[in-house]
Amino acid sequence: MLGYVVRRLWQFVPTLLGVVLLVFFLFNFVGGDPAYLLAGKISNPAQIENIRRQLGVDQPYAIQLWIFVKQIASGDFGASWSTNERVSEIFATRLGPSLTVLVPLLAIGTLLAMAAAMLVAYLRGSLTDRAIMVGCTVAQSISILVYILVFQYVLAYQLGWFPVQGWGITFAENLLRYSVLAIIVGVAVSLAPDIRLYRSFFLDEINQDYVRTARAKGLSERRVLWVHVLRNAAIPIVTNILLQLPGLLAGAFLIERFFGIPGIGREVILAVERSDFPVIKAVTVYVAVATMIVNLAADLLYKAIDPRVQLK
Amino acid sequence: MSESAILPALPGAASPGVWTLAWRRFCRDRLGLACLVVVVIYGAVMAACAAGWIVRDWSEEVAVTFAPPSFLGPEAPRGAPAAAAATAPQGALEDYGIPDPLADDLAEIAQELSGVSASETRAVTLAFGADKWGRDVLKKAVKGTETSLFVGLVAAALAAFLGTLFGALAGYQGGWLDDLFNWLYSVLTSIPYLLLVLAVAAVVNQKGVLTVILILGLTGWTGIFRLIRAEYMKHKVREYVLAADAIGASAARRMFVHILPNVSHVVLVQLSLHVVLFIKSEVILTFLGFGVGVDTVSWGSMLAEAQSELILGKWWQITAATVAMAVLVSAFSLLTDALRDALDPRLK
Amino acid sequence: MSLGSHWRRSAASAVFLLAVPAALQAADPPKILRVTFQAAETGFDPVRVSDYYSGQIIEAIFDPLLTYDYLARPAKLVANAAESLPEISSDGRSYVFRIRKGVYFADDPAFKGRKRELTALDYAYSFKRFYDPRHRSPYAFLFTGKIVGLDELAEQAKASGSFDYDAPVAGLQTPDRHTLVIRLKQPDPNFSHVLAYPLSGAVAREAIEAYGDESPSHPVGSGPFLLKRYTRSSKIVLAANPGYRGKLWDFVPGDDPRQREIASQMQGKRLPRLDGVEVSIMEETQSRWLAFQRGETDIEYQLWDVAPTFMTDDGKLRPEFVRRGIQLDRTIDPEITYLYFNMQERIGEAPNPVGGFGKERIALRRAIAMSYKVEDQIRIIRKGQAVRAEYPVPPGVAGHDPGYRSLIPYDPRAANELLEKFGYRKGADGYRRQPDGAPLVIRNASTPTERDRQFDELLKRSLDSIGVRLEIQKERFPELLKLEKQCRHMTRMAAWIADYPDGDNFMQLLYGPNVNESNNACYRSKEFDRRYEKSRRLADGPERDRLYHEMTRLMEVDTVWLLLDSRIRNALQQPHVVGFTKHPVLHTEWLYLDLAPRSGD
Repeated sequence: MLGYVVRRLWQFVPTLLGVVLLVFFLFNFVGGDPAYLLAGKISNPAQIENIRRQLGVDQPYAIQLWIFVKQIASGDFGASWSTNERVSEIFATRLGPSLTVLVPLLAIGTLLAMAAAMLVAYLRGSLTDRAIMVGCTVAQSISILVYILVFQYVLAYQLGWFPVQGWGITFAENLLRYSVLAIIVGVAVSLAPDIRLYRSFFLDEINQDYVRTARAKGLSERRVLWVHVLRNAAIPIVTNILLQLPGLLAGAFLIERFFGIPGIGREVILAVERSDFPVIKAVTVYVAVATMIVNLAADLLYKAIDPRVQLK
Repeated sequence: MSESAILPALPGAASPGVWTLAWRRFCRDRLGLACLVVVVIYGAVMAACAAGWIVRDWSEEVAVTFAPPSFLGPEAPRGAPAAAAATAPQGALEDYGIPDPLADDLAEIAQELSGVSASETRAVTLAFGADKWGRDVLKKAVKGTETSLFVGLVAAALAAFLGTLFGALAGYQGGWLDDLFNWLYSVLTSIPYLLLVLAVAAVVNQKGVLTVILILGLTGWTGIFRLIRAEYMKHKVREYVLAADAIGASAARRMFVHILPNVSHVVLVQLSLHVVLFIKSEVILTFLGFGVGVDTVSWGSMLAEAQSELILGKWWQITAATVAMAVLVSAFSLLTDALRDALDPRLK
Repeated sequence: MSLGSHWRRSAASAVFLLAVPAALQAADPPKILRVTFQAAETGFDPVRVSDYYSGQIIEAIFDPLLTYDYLARPAKLVANAAESLPEISSDGRSYVFRIRKGVYFADDPAFKGRKRELTALDYAYSFKRFYDPRHRSPYAFLFTGKIVGLDELAEQAKASGSFDYDAPVAGLQTPDRHTLVIRLKQPDPNFSHVLAYPLSGAVAREAIEAYGDESPSHPVGSGPFLLKRYTRSSKIVLAANPGYRGKLWDFVPGDDPRQREIASQMQGKRLPRLDGVEVSIMEETQSRWLAFQRGETDIEYQLWDVAPTFMTDDGKLRPEFVRRGIQLDRTIDPEITYLYFNMQERIGEAPNPVGGFGKERIALRRAIAMSYKVEDQIRIIRKGQAVRAEYPVPPGVAGHDPGYRSLIPYDPRAANELLEKFGYRKGADGYRRQPDGAPLVIRNASTPTERDRQFDELLKRSLDSIGVRLEIQKERFPELLKLEKQCRHMTRMAAWIADYPDGDNFMQLLYGPNVNESNNACYRSKEFDRRYEKSRRLADGPERDRLYHEMTRLMEVDTVWLLLDSRIRNALQQPHVVGFTKHPVLHTEWLYLDLAPRSGD
């Protein structure tokens, strides 16, 4: 086991290297030259040259790559090419708003989905079960774009319950006023797939031998569900959430954009549009490291659950 | 369930195979059958569109801009119509001393073509309305089926193929192959999806349906890979595989003749899931600008247009695309569920 | 006085003293104007930004030497931080400015507790910063090549690695604290406009050196507003600068009834009237429109996509909005959009089917131009909120000629005949081939956005009507820019908005030496260049107009561009906004606005 963990940690290095190479290749060969964008409306080749020199992209690739590696080691990616803000500053300030929306979203969504899935698992096979599952399927088949557009139009404009978009100053204001609509949309979108997923987790557990044993011992169905099944199903549920986290942070850009939330996802889109390499580098490295750690944790959990699995 | 493929069937006791049993179970599920019918209908529509038998004229502008659906009635005029462009026949244009090399040719042509060209009449309402160019929304939704369903099916097939191949090699062989594929998996899943999409989009320089399929397929195999790898790791130590090893079956044979049939139900379910996922992803990709080209319509392109239309109160295009997509995706998902239930009855 | 009455009197005065401010408070909530940007800003250091939105904030915080009369149309230069318009020498090369006395920068820790007066040295320093290679300023083109001695200093800086701000410069002299003498290399009638540009406002050296790389988020200026709170890409809050010298609203209205109305409301008031401005970044039109309708923003003019919701077909505000007291201000933006053809013989290594000056190439370009459905673009894509552009200089810009008629009509039938005549025969696939039989493919470059997709669709429909095959080449915006500067696009839609209100800013887009810079059609014509160089030496007037007519006709005869349209700007304001009319050149009108107390306050 220890050997496995060490081996996986050791594998971080080539993986990170792979990420670095891929991002470097991506940016330099296909990412678009930022010099022309930064040069403005009227520019001559001499100015372009100057910009490239100031940005450091006129150096040979080997040197740029080496600088990149040093930056990863030190954790300092310099300053944004378009706004001059330090990249570490960018992340520090944008992480807060992203989490203010993401954490309540995950918490509320998971609890609601678990409750609904438990109910459906309890009623499995019945008409209610089928009806709810079909409902979830239909809800899941509608694009997130449609949800955002319609919710914003109906709840914010027609009914006036929430501000259309924006962000405030204090944490309380942000959480209780500006995040609410974004959280509602996020929960609405994730509820259906989560219910289906958690239902399958619960049913997986229910069909295990130990449940049959518990029932044979005379335990009530409710106790079986709430005490035994829930506890065991919690593992894949938590694993599932953990695995999604790194991707969610950067991937929530649609919600952040429509609701004007100054979070990381929105920052990533801006950086990609402006070919702002320092920000792109930093996001990629942070997400890569986070994903690798989370994947290792998930694999260890799999091993803990199913001892038959051999980790080589 | 894990019936060994190496024991010869005993004569006179032909037991039904896995798939036959599954099919029988499946047929008993009314909802599943209904969904299968729906999916087959969509498939038929896709084929008919591709062959040009229906909606071949989807891109013709037959109606006025944003013509409403017939059940709503034509739009009331808003204020006096814009003053007709004052194209009074110009007298001799001042030439400011710069002669036009084409002046004579154009004069000749003008003489040949005298007479006013007929103006086309356009419909003021259509069955389910028109988009901004006056194209029939219903026809677009039907034609969009071809693109969206095709993208979903082919991309899912590609992802399933890659994921299964890599998963089998990694899970069964282990060692450096496992390391290699795990490395590839880690690298691809570590990069934020947006950047990954950019990378593939930029490498595949041509835009269009092929690009979307490649983007989805080349980035979407990771989930399947992980599952199949785990399955292979599980099956590798089972008795029937050890037995096959004992009688001298090669590794390739063991992987693909013995184990694969026993994990094929996982592959099938994953394939089905990914079709659904990719149909929905195509919408997001088109919204980000990596979608289909100008002369192709997909549900994604309809929804992307809908963003600016909804705020003007023109809801028919977004509704048509959403309903068409919802019906197919729901049917496909429920079909997947029924498949899963039929293939693994313990899950009931 | 007895104790009791003393107490009573003190209590009374105490109550009075407490009540008065409370009453005043209740009567006078701070006047904060709330507006939006549709794209994120990048920063507020004049030499480091290129986007329009950052420019708006910079205009509010810093003080250029000159500015524009709020009401005069076409735009007229007036003095701002300078006491009056510059004294220009007879050879047109020397400008003398006298800076107002008693103008102070906003208080800032960088000044170490002292009040800091604005001097001519500040302007000299600010202009020099554009030449510093370290800043790689996108707007350096406003100054480079113009001021004596500065380009040489920039060259030295490139070699040595740092710019010497203290070195004497022949073209920027400050004989005393409040006099600035600028010497140009050659006469430039438009140079005064550069000095009205918001980016030419004065910065204080101590502040720049104190904040270093953080200067974009710590602007210190002498203008009417200062930066109070700043959440990047989300919210920018400005407050009125308490130390601002103030201005008087005393502009003369024209015949326009709206201008007269504004003048009657604002005449004689001291500016700024506003206590602050709150800018929210809202990228989606839906968000901006909904926010305005709910009264969360005061002025909104970035609403092209939803114009039909509030405008009638004949250009008036819809009755339901008029009833709510919403005000409409309608102007034509000083911009043109056009479709350009790459005029070179080759693109990269491959031959360019639309380039060159041979008759059949001109015929091909002319046919394409005659087939493009400009009316549909205005009606469907612009939703009626644009006017056809027939002249390279748009309305509101000096040099515009409303009487000019384009040589190129919309006539797809004639276009088809023209192509037949010159040997572009249709092949088996229904698309035309080149006269020598080679396939003909027109490649249009655009970004993968939904907006560009509409233009692509229209171009395809237009070219299909004359049987010409179209391929769309999608690149992201930075890559598009790069390829454009290298003359590697075959056709592309482009737009240009005036940097300063003079026709020269538009005519330079076709000037030969500007290829690889702003001449994106890569057009080189001796006839055109000759006339352009003559026109540069003239001020706006009939002689220059004649030259411009000839240059425009040359452009049409060679069919370098197809001019498309200029957009109409519909600015909506809530009923309580007073004094707003969109200025063609000024980025913002915040200095000249007032807010009436809202009903129900």
